[in-house]
Amino acid sequence: MSTTIAEREVALVDLVDRLLGGGVVIAGDITLAVADVDLVYVQLRALISSVATAEEKGVLPRMGDAL
Amino acid sequence: MIELYAITDNPGPPLPDVAPPLELVPIDGLAAVCTPAADAEVSAATLWRYEEVVEALMADRDLLPVRYGTRLDDERAVARAVNERRDELAAALDRVRGAVELSVRVAAAGTEQASPAAPHTSSGAEYLRLRSRAKASRDRAARALHEPLSALARASVEGRPRPPELFRATYLVERDAVESFAEEVAGLQEANAGLGILCTGPWPPYSFAEP
Repeated sequence: MSTTIAEREVALVDLVDRLLGGGVVIAGDITLAVADVDLVYVQLRALISSVATAEEKGVLPRMGDAL
Repeated sequence: MIELYAITDNPGPPLPDVAPPLELVPIDGLAAVCTPAADAEVSAATLWRYEEVVEALMADRDLLPVRYGTRLDDERAVARAVNERRDELAAALDRVRGAVELSVRVAAAGTEQASPAAPHTSSGAEYLRLRSRAKASRDRAARALHEPLSALARASVEGRPRPPELFRATYLVERDAVESFAEEVAGLQEANAGLGILCTGPWPPYSFAEP
């Protein structure tokens, strides 16, 4: 997919949309109930926006530097 | 419990070497790729780990990715569940054969730059009218992207944009056309300075897996 964490953070929105909303549905237990899916979205979006905000303000090193 | 990653052709190339090791459950020309389910909280890291396994599989075979979090009791249950939809799944696998998924999301570059900056010089109604006209023109631009991009794709699905996005769509693209798709995106970005185009991928065909 991408080579730096910074790019991955951008792609996380696309990843979550695909893993939780796409793919073939096979009869069986889905470990995540719908409410959990919403919660995951909220948690991950908070993570994405906090990373973006922190980078903007220069609070955190750029995510790519963490490598 | 075992967790499912993907449905593939069987036989296929050897499974990639990942931990925990992958298992193949054969079902009449197809196979389900599984692993013993681990108790893990869902986090960005667990989602990426899952994705990495599916991408390792995608590197040298066609596949239908399975909805994240699908777990069944044992291999017999997997075989039974897949067998129930065997023909549908085989047809879906044929539809994505040789192709990958690319995501395109579009937002206005510099959110409100197209809005009039001095509402005191005009009425509130005028301000709103100009604002909505600016928005409509950005929407038209986003539409203008879809036609050239879908011409390079085998199939496409438009999604509902989440604000501040103006447009989002997913394209099923031949593996060897990914580069020309990316070039087209770069060209469209250059021609539409007022839009920010974000293209990611190649992804496994999550958006085209369900028949």
